[in-house]
Amino acid sequence: MELAGKTENIKSARELGLVACTRCTKVWPAGTETCGRCGKHLESRDTTSLQRVWAYWIVGFLCYIPANMYPMLQTRTLLTVQEDTIVGGAIELFHYGSPGVALIILIASVAIPVAKFLAIAFLAISVLRVSSISMHQRQLLYEVVEYIGRWSMIDIFVVAIMSSLVQLNTLAAITPGRASLFFALSVIFTMLSAQAFDSRMIWDVQSGNPDAPDTSDSNATSDRTAT
Amino acid sequence: MSDTPPPLQVERQRKSRLSRVSIVWIIPVLAIVIALAVAWQTYSERGPVIEIRFENGAGIAERETELRYRDVAVGVVEEVRFSEDLASVVAAVRVDKDVAAFIDVSASFWIVRPEVTARGITGLDTVLSGVYIEGTWDSKPGTPQTSFDGLTDAPLFRPGGNGLEIVMRTTPDGTMTDDSPITFRGIEVGRVGKASISPEGNYAVAEALIYEQHTGLISSRTRFWETSGFTFSVGPQGAEIDFSSIATLVSGGLTFDTFVSGGEPVDNGTVFEVYATEEEARNSLFQAADVETLEARVVFDENVSGLAVDAPVEINGLKIGEVQSVLGVIDEEEFGDSRVRLSVVLAIQPARLGLQDDVTPETAREFLADRVAGGLRARLTNASILTGGLKIDLVQVDDAEPQTLETPEDALPIIPTTESDIVDAAATVEGVVNRINNLPIEELLGSAIDFLDSAQALVGNEDLQETPGEVRAILSEIRTIVASEDVQNIPVALNASVTRLESLLAEIEETELASRLVNAVDAAADAAEGVTTSVEGIPALVEQIEAVAAKAEALPVEDLANQLTELAAAAEGILDTEAARQLPADLSAALNEINATLTELREGGAVTNLNATLGSARRAADAVATSTEDLPALVERLGNVLNQASVTIAGYNKGDTLSREAQSALRDISQAADALTSLARMLERNPSALIRGR
Repeated sequence: MELAGKTENIKSARELGLVACTRCTKVWPAGTETCGRCGKHLESRDTTSLQRVWAYWIVGFLCYIPANMYPMLQTRTLLTVQEDTIVGGAIELFHYGSPGVALIILIASVAIPVAKFLAIAFLAISVLRVSSISMHQRQLLYEVVEYIGRWSMIDIFVVAIMSSLVQLNTLAAITPGRASLFFALSVIFTMLSAQAFDSRMIWDVQSGNPDAPDTSDSNATSDRTAT
Repeated sequence: MSDTPPPLQVERQRKSRLSRVSIVWIIPVLAIVIALAVAWQTYSERGPVIEIRFENGAGIAERETELRYRDVAVGVVEEVRFSEDLASVVAAVRVDKDVAAFIDVSASFWIVRPEVTARGITGLDTVLSGVYIEGTWDSKPGTPQTSFDGLTDAPLFRPGGNGLEIVMRTTPDGTMTDDSPITFRGIEVGRVGKASISPEGNYAVAEALIYEQHTGLISSRTRFWETSGFTFSVGPQGAEIDFSSIATLVSGGLTFDTFVSGGEPVDNGTVFEVYATEEEARNSLFQAADVETLEARVVFDENVSGLAVDAPVEINGLKIGEVQSVLGVIDEEEFGDSRVRLSVVLAIQPARLGLQDDVTPETAREFLADRVAGGLRARLTNASILTGGLKIDLVQVDDAEPQTLETPEDALPIIPTTESDIVDAAATVEGVVNRINNLPIEELLGSAIDFLDSAQALVGNEDLQETPGEVRAILSEIRTIVASEDVQNIPVALNASVTRLESLLAEIEETELASRLVNAVDAAADAAEGVTTSVEGIPALVEQIEAVAAKAEALPVEDLANQLTELAAAAEGILDTEAARQLPADLSAALNEINATLTELREGGAVTNLNATLGSARRAADAVATSTEDLPALVERLGNVLNQASVTIAGYNKGDTLSREAQSALRDISQAADALTSLARMLERNPSALIRGR
């Protein structure tokens, strides 16, 4: 991005009267209903994007609460039944002298999901007003959030693998706790939330009024910025 | 991009406020609704919290220790804390809503811990899983209660009734093992719980439970007794150790039996006594007034001391009741005089009479009336000679006057009496003394004195006094005889005689043997002599042989004798033949013939033939010479044979070699005889052979 830092000159496709297909990226004149190449319905701005972002975000957040309250993993051995929540397990691991593993769990299961919630919320709010953080940084943040979201499922994979492998009847058995379901739902909904975010809105804020973009612009960079 | 499309005026779509709301909002709304619903459900299903007070925590852990009912978890401990005065531990248990209604006054709680007893191990699972609180309550919902006092041990009785709940009480001063099984035929059919001592301290009381399926075994007639420990006895069958089971050996236990029929089912709370032994329990059945007793009255004419209250009433030796009261009565109206009579009230146990159907005082009375009509009477008799105690015996009197069991309307039935059978120990002793007194001792003494006098007179008789002297003389004579040397020497003389006899016999034997040997030697010498006397001595030889044979004949072996005789006879026969005897004559005749032949030849004139004949004759003569020369050898041989025979005969006594040697000798003799026979025959057939030499 050679234009980073020089946002003043950027013209959005919308300002140039263009609309890009989000599937095959072909650019069409604004007002075109469907993409002539792939047939997708064209829309210059997804007007319900923010609503969906917030809806999914809320569900994801709701799911994240029980995911941390209920036990993630139930370890049943001959003598004892141990149920650990995510944070509790990590703390226990830390006490048992495995700070590395505890750190990984904390990062993967707590830090990243929480950061994701914050990031998505920040993006969703920041598109509505002028932000001190540059649009490029926000775009980067969005891409990182979308990329990293799927890795949160690693917790669920671990639980799934463990509980399918360790099934020794009465000797020892590991079963997924209730939290694993909520955690999976939480991850899924945050991913949906991130996907629902129309990142083109990041660039609309610079014009001050995304709902009423002005028509005066240059044609030079319209293709580039049409996202 | 030179032909840039003209900037378009993008129109804002005008949409209603509602249509601008995304459908996606349904999802969070749904999620919230579901969450709220779940929360509400959880909350509404949450049962109440009850507080159970325990003496100690005993391993109760918050959020882990369960409350179980019939071993199913119905709650969990939410909080463990101390009571305000630290006197107890309070466990707050969140119970399930559906059982909360049942947890009322009837509920009781205790902590289940692992327990090892003689009967086995219980609560083993709690070793691993930790303790749990067991609760029990009846199946009727009541007013829920939230505060309870926990028990220290599992209660024996569980509300809801899982068996027959009875109470065990020891006999006064008896013992009982509490917290032990109740067995029946070796099967555990119930348990005795913790016992407590009565306030007066004279007996112990314990709750006991008979399990539901065995409640039919218990009736009002059932008796319980201890089976704790073991019995050890040494008897004719050897030592015997007896105990009902290891469990009762270690921890004790009770067992029971229903000895008589007719008991009624018992209700919860019935009190049973625990007896020390089965025998006591059995006896108790007839002592205890569990059936109303039949009271009867007996009036004895005599008034004898010794009958006391509680004295036994027996029939055929079997105790059927007791004396209830003893009174002296004076009733002129009833008895006709003013003597003091003994009025005894008996308490008879109908159960002990062995009545079949209805065991009631009424049937007992009927039974007694029947028996009294048949001759049953009451009498006083000794219970113990030593103590002088009396008892009342109901006996069958065969020739009794017919009487009936009087049953006045408002009084007790009266059992008629018969003569008492009291053996008064004092009276008996007196009787003995009397009898001794009455003995004719003085007469006896008089007789004895007379007898002694007569004896004295007899002994004083002179003749009798002399008798010993005579006897002594005879004895001394006998002793002198016995002691005389002659008599004493008898054995020696006998011995000498025997020795001499023996030596004599030996001598005789030796002499005989010697003579026989001499004879044999003589005979052999004679034989040899006879043989050496040339051919003419053959008859002599024969005679010798005969002699030998005769001698042999004299020997006890008849076989040998016979054989020798036969042999001798044969030899004699052979030698006695004409031919043999005429042998010399034949020889002369032959010579004569030769002479004649020679004369013929001389007259016939064949000189060569003559010469030849002469040569032949010479050879014949040579042959005869050799023949005759052989004869002495033959005779010698015969002599050897005879010698051998003699030796054989002489050594006859030497055992079974005799037969062998005799036989070989005989064989030799017979061979010799054969040789002689063949020689004789040849000579007989061909006498010229003797001349011609062949």
